[in-house]
Amino acid sequence: MTEGRLTYEEIQAADKALSFAAANGADKCRITLTKSLMDMTGILNGRVDKVTHCLDRAITFSLFVDGRFGTFSSNRLDEKALEKFILKAIGTVRMLAKDKFRDLPPQERVARPDLSGENLGLCDIEAYESMTPAKRRAFALDSSRYKKWPANPDYKVISEEGEYSDSISDIYIIDTAGTRCRQTETSFEYGVEVTIADSKGNRFSANTWDANPHFALLHKDVSDEALKMAVAKIGSKACKSGRYPMVLSNICSSRLLTPMLTALGGYAIQQKNSFMVDTLGKKILPDYLTIMDRPHMEGCSGARLFDSEGVATEEGPVIEAGVVKKYFVNTYISNKTGMKATVDDISKACVVPTAGKPDEVTANFDGTWIEVNGFNGGNCNSVTGDFSYGVEGFVAKRAAGGRIIRKPVKEMLITGNLLELWNNLEAACDDALRKNTHQVGTLIFRDVDFSG
Amino acid sequence: MIQSKKYYLDTFGVTEEQLRAITETAMATGGSYADLFFENTSYSDLMLRDGEVTSGGFHIDYGVGIRVLKGERTGYAYAESTDMAAMLSAAKAASAISRGDRPADGSIADSKGYVPRLYRGAPNPAADRYPILKDWRTASASEFIPILNKLKDMIQQRDPRIIKITAVLQDQVSDIMMYNIYGELKYETRPMGTLAVSVIFSDGKTTQSSHVSRSYRMGAEMLTDEVLSELADKAVRNLDDRFAARRPKGGKMPVVMGAGASGILLHEAMGHAFEADFIRKKQSVFSGKLGKKVCDENISIVDDGTIRGNRGSINFDDEGVPAQRTYMVENGILTSFLHDRVSARHFKVAPTGNGRRESFRFAPIPRMRATYMESGNSRPEDIIASVRKGIFVDEFSNGQVKIGEGDFTFFVKSGYLIENGRLTMPIKDINVIGNGPKALADIVAVGNDSIVDECAWTCGKEQSAPVSCGIPTVLINNLTVGGE
Repeated sequence: MTEGRLTYEEIQAADKALSFAAANGADKCRITLTKSLMDMTGILNGRVDKVTHCLDRAITFSLFVDGRFGTFSSNRLDEKALEKFILKAIGTVRMLAKDKFRDLPPQERVARPDLSGENLGLCDIEAYESMTPAKRRAFALDSSRYKKWPANPDYKVISEEGEYSDSISDIYIIDTAGTRCRQTETSFEYGVEVTIADSKGNRFSANTWDANPHFALLHKDVSDEALKMAVAKIGSKACKSGRYPMVLSNICSSRLLTPMLTALGGYAIQQKNSFMVDTLGKKILPDYLTIMDRPHMEGCSGARLFDSEGVATEEGPVIEAGVVKKYFVNTYISNKTGMKATVDDISKACVVPTAGKPDEVTANFDGTWIEVNGFNGGNCNSVTGDFSYGVEGFVAKRAAGGRIIRKPVKEMLITGNLLELWNNLEAACDDALRKNTHQVGTLIFRDVDFSG
Repeated sequence: MIQSKKYYLDTFGVTEEQLRAITETAMATGGSYADLFFENTSYSDLMLRDGEVTSGGFHIDYGVGIRVLKGERTGYAYAESTDMAAMLSAAKAASAISRGDRPADGSIADSKGYVPRLYRGAPNPAADRYPILKDWRTASASEFIPILNKLKDMIQQRDPRIIKITAVLQDQVSDIMMYNIYGELKYETRPMGTLAVSVIFSDGKTTQSSHVSRSYRMGAEMLTDEVLSELADKAVRNLDDRFAARRPKGGKMPVVMGAGASGILLHEAMGHAFEADFIRKKQSVFSGKLGKKVCDENISIVDDGTIRGNRGSINFDDEGVPAQRTYMVENGILTSFLHDRVSARHFKVAPTGNGRRESFRFAPIPRMRATYMESGNSRPEDIIASVRKGIFVDEFSNGQVKIGEGDFTFFVKSGYLIENGRLTMPIKDINVIGNGPKALADIVAVGNDSIVDECAWTCGKEQSAPVSCGIPTVLINNLTVGGE
């Protein structure tokens, strides 16, 4: 039995706690039991710098008592301590104001109990169980390239800091209405940050990573990629302010999708804290923009069978041909607002491609455009959608003969309104990275305000 | 608050003999230092939403973190139980960092270099910076619900454009006990209370929002009418200007930062680059600059863990090192980095009490406490009057910095255009972007009005930690402002 998986005794403790809560004043109760184990080996400049071993466990109660509601959690699972905890929690809920909209989800909406992470291809138990401290150390050292990089007259490598980690996580949700669902998944990850200095002592750094539920699919060339990215930044500076087409790389394109997904959250809509209020069913984006939720993408991180209430996830459009098709509405917000209940949040957003590779789109570009491959701070106003982000990347220009000249840029800002930006989408490319939770390829926007 | 040694040993169900046995296991494979960090934290929260306090709860987090150092390398593991078997298992996992390094004669490796025995004995009660007058743990939720309702009423009556109010009260009390291979036993109880409010306003045409908070390392005595009134005032402050605010034209220009909360720029853009783990790894842009002039001689920057009741204050850090007031920059000279025991050993200096961690689940690393710039000589109104065309910023959020390059970006929540020495059009939703060392060198005026902000600032370097920040009114000569 893998140490990081829930044991029979732990599951039994959760089942007993549910019965105890129901027998001692809770009208309804949901229990979420989680456990995870993560081992990490950190490498600094080709040497092992850090080793960690993290085993976590928590039990969370959502208690519905006399028309009132509260949430309580503990990492102490012994029976007597839990019973005392539950009695105190029930007493606390009774002090709160009534809220008639709180309820468990109806049974027809919850996930099937016979499905688990294995059904989504999220478990590589064999590889996980074969891991030993020595293997982890060897993999981490082997992934480091610090001692293998030849000296270069143009730059000096200051540091290479990498981390290999593997983990297993297990979640079990039960409630007094009969919900019983569980998902187990493994993850293997290697991330690295490389800092270099050019011949004048100016520093440049870059980081990248790879992650996969399956060990054999984990890329091992991450360090070289980070060095390449850092070297490409040498000589970077701000370029002239103006309106340019923006080619937003697939390594960071989901950054401009996330605020839109947040604004579709039922709680934000109910609180009027969203620029997507009153947009359901309306066409507010271009015809060619379709965003799907694909929670069942096999073997991809972010895939899940159920949400935090145990409600079964399903594939479907969030934005279809520019029309808003879905808000993310849990049972509470649905009861409170009358909006149709869906799931509490998106699982895996996928922007449906409208084009092939980025080069095929920019082949038609004349003049200057900016290729953005990293963000540095910024924000989007949740109420208005107005945004301003720090960005870096390359300014690209088509020279005579069709050749493209690229120069690195930094200390640039993009400013605008998110809905206006997405309405200026020129193309969504077909190059999404499998390692990312949200599947968003390179995005190309017209007329973006850059200042530098 | 510091209670008796027995209270902490009983809380974690251990004896001093057991503590010794665990550290011996941790050191058995040749480590050069080991320590234990016990934590029993209880959190509570109450939320007022749509006019009533309809949700709340409490949470318990309990366990022990075990760290083994071998030179500057770290092995770390933790157990969520303090039974001996679980702790010994974690000690063995942490000792993996030094596996195979045990000297051939079987002796414990040389542990010199980890500042041994500087902080012997029981904590000094005189240094207690957060005595708890009213313990959150013994108070009932029913005592706090009327306070949230009162706060809601105070806000509601301040402006008719309010359409939604959300108020959250969170409290946290942690019993902490630390033990290391030198037999040093430290213990204390750390409180934290946070009151936060979000308000949505509408004038029928547009919608605006404000988010304000107050947070103190104090017991429930922090919930005074004065604090409620201050929060209510701040939630609706400059509301007409919020509705009128526009994006200015962007470009390079002088930026005046208002006193107090603008100190977040100091924390992000300069403070992180002073943390000695980044210096040890040579990743910081300030590496190799100790003792050098980095800015105007009127500037002194402090990281302070000694302010009574402050969110960033500690009696001692999470390695048992007493908190102190550390000058990072004194009269323009870079005088100290912020150290934990690992970086202090590397640089052969005393640790500065900055070894902090989110919880027993994390190994300590150098972290800031309350970071601020001391007051200078200029009057704030003279600083503004000296600018022909620029912006005045009174609230930042969402800052980010790249430690290697020093490049930073900050989102301006609110501020004003400065035209011919006067504040004119209200501005919002823009970014300022620059480079930390360059911005520091470009500060040309420092106000006489330094304030340490009391909002619920949380630093997110690998793990979260409560901090504070502050600054006087300052003028930075040349920053890039993103605008229309």
